[in-house]
Amino acid sequence: MEKSIEDIWKQGFLKSDALVAPKVNNLYSQKSMHIIDTFKRMFKINLIAIVVFSIAFLIATIFLGIPITGVMFFVTLTVLVIINKRLLDSLKKIDTGASSYEYLKSFNDWINQQVSINKKFATFMYPVIFLSMILGFWFKDAEGIPLGERLVGEVLKGFPDIYMVQGIPLIALIVILLIVGVLAFFGGRIYQWDLNIVYGRIFKKLKELMADIEELKE
Amino acid sequence: MSTDFYTTSITPFSGIIIKLCRAYTNTQEDFEDYYQEVCLQIWRSKENFRAESEWSTWVYRISLNVCLTLLKKNKNNSELFASDSLLAEETEDNHAFADESLNVLYDAIRKLSEIDRAVITLYLEEKSYKEIAEIIGTNPNNIGVRVKRIKTRLKNILDGKIN
Repeated sequence: MEKSIEDIWKQGFLKSDALVAPKVNNLYSQKSMHIIDTFKRMFKINLIAIVVFSIAFLIATIFLGIPITGVMFFVTLTVLVIINKRLLDSLKKIDTGASSYEYLKSFNDWINQQVSINKKFATFMYPVIFLSMILGFWFKDAEGIPLGERLVGEVLKGFPDIYMVQGIPLIALIVILLIVGVLAFFGGRIYQWDLNIVYGRIFKKLKELMADIEELKE
Repeated sequence: MSTDFYTTSITPFSGIIIKLCRAYTNTQEDFEDYYQEVCLQIWRSKENFRAESEWSTWVYRISLNVCLTLLKKNKNNSELFASDSLLAEETEDNHAFADESLNVLYDAIRKLSEIDRAVITLYLEEKSYKEIAEIIGTNPNNIGVRVKRIKTRLKNILDGKIN
């Protein structure tokens, strides 16, 4: 007679070797493989790296004579760090002991919030970083006068009839605005693309798990 | 983690933790990693336990949540979720138990979706539909229907493999 799965389960676990727990030595010192812990760890490392980089970059730009670039970089990255530090704090509040649905939903909501905020920020950050480079070099001292003005002077020698707006060639303004527009347009997409490469499978899996539980709820 | 906490709060439930972890892993190495991670998360989350449910229910929830969202320690880092790589590893180590029928049953359970693996494991542990629903966070009325469907699927997979 065929055994039922209940019988296989019960009889199988009656054997003494079936429920031998593995050793759990030095457990707390081990690096977690859990997705939330991994996110927390990566987030923290990223934030520290951004802070270190922005300070080092600020110092470097002062020495290079382009402090405007350094200051704009520093301010932008500081705002980014503050926003993401708050996100990290909210990630810590996710309760592992909640029901699977609530747990996955909290995590999914956190991911969506994180992606949405950082996408919006990327739309603003990439153009600001580009402009910080332009402004930094424009105002860089070049033998007593700003580098930008010196450059415009050189251009005017070659093209004396070039159309100017507030002392800047119109063509240069158009090119800068175009680049700013392209960076603003693609900033969010670049961030999303980058994130999908690393975490695309996790996001997909989370959606599948939640869809399965939601089907059970209905 | 103190030995006391492990002995008093985890050891009494190690059976179900082992059974759940086995349903989500296919090798001894992965199983040990999952088991350790579950214990670690129970230890880390113990301050959040608010006695709104039984300690056992809470331990099952953590075990299941960890198994559902654990990043597999992967050889090539191409697969991030445990279950994704199970099929590829199916032949690696399917002899975790001395009882061959149990090995075959686990093999079949691993072919189910993540949620179905949890439902059937808790059902086989004789948890009530209400408790299963509480752990997963779903409707108890639908658990019975799902259990029937899973059992039929398991029977089809096992057909002819176990006498």
